[in-house]
Amino acid sequence: MNSIEENLWNYIDGTCTPDEQQAISMLIETDEVYRRQYEELLALNLEFSNIELEEPPMAFTYRVMEAIRAEEAMVPLKAAINKNLIRGLFGVFAFIIVAITAYALFTINWNAGSTATANFSLPQVKLPVNLPPAKNLLSSAPVLKAFIFFDVVFGLFFLDAYLRKQRTAKQF
Amino acid sequence: MQSKLSDIELIEQTLGGNQAAYADLVKRHQRFVFTLAMRFAKSREDAEEIAQDCFIKAYRSLSSFQQQSKFSTWLYSIVYTTAMTFLRKKRLDTSSIDDENVYLQIENQHGSFENNLAEKQSQSFYVNQAISQLLPDDATIITLFYSGEQSLEEIAAALGMEANTVKVKLFRARQRLKEKLEKLLKHEAKELI
Repeated sequence: MNSIEENLWNYIDGTCTPDEQQAISMLIETDEVYRRQYEELLALNLEFSNIELEEPPMAFTYRVMEAIRAEEAMVPLKAAINKNLIRGLFGVFAFIIVAITAYALFTINWNAGSTATANFSLPQVKLPVNLPPAKNLLSSAPVLKAFIFFDVVFGLFFLDAYLRKQRTAKQF
Repeated sequence: MQSKLSDIELIEQTLGGNQAAYADLVKRHQRFVFTLAMRFAKSREDAEEIAQDCFIKAYRSLSSFQQQSKFSTWLYSIVYTTAMTFLRKKRLDTSSIDDENVYLQIENQHGSFENNLAEKQSQSFYVNQAISQLLPDDATIITLFYSGEQSLEEIAAALGMEANTVKVKLFRARQRLKEKLEKLLKHEAKELI
């Protein structure tokens, strides 16, 4: 059941049905309690209607428009590049690669390898110092540990950057 | 001077590339948006940040405005969501520094309270003081209903609630506002005696 106050607010706001409105109107006229509370709420309603709006700073509109202009000027490079241009460049390079490969395949003498004798040897390179064998270098414990440690730190750094990006994207 | 064009006409001009039309829209709604932001932020700097963010967001999604409701209702829904996000962020950032800021704000309020004797006399000053002591949700509903010229259905659309829920919330918000106002006036009467 609605309280007197709730009924009266509905009456003041005009949100009650015509029947309810008539009944409340009668009660206000006849019932002293109703009448007093109605007058009190009516006065409050008038006070609430006089709420003063806050005044934003003088340059507010200017700042908003500047922010919009700055945002529009900073169009991401991804959006600024013409996609057709990218597609065109991709087409040209793909065509050149296919054409060179096809030309190379057509001009190869496939029988040359079986008839001719290979007369080629790798040049001898002499290093100035005696370096430790690569196998020994990698298998040494401190080097391997440093390498793994560096990889783990690097991996965590990228994971953190990725998660931050995900969180920022979710917020907006 | 503000434009005499309707909100819809200004929106159409903005979508046509006329940024000056959007500046007119901002001028038209900035006081109310700023007031709503103040209901959540309590400090003018934060309220300005929220209000500015709202107008930028509204500009970005202006093309998605379906014109099924008033522009103001649509804009207030942006204000509400932006302010709620702001409050959530603020809660996460809560620290002892914030407590210090609150103390300073109270001190400042007290200072301005004593300085503005003329303003103190006006009834609307007390109403505004009482509103600032309400919870953001209550203060927003009261402000939208009395100053925003929004019906219960429009408030419901802006806040993403049922019209009946808004009706109940408005009733409770009025009761709380009445209590706060009575307390404030009693306190003032005691001070005068």
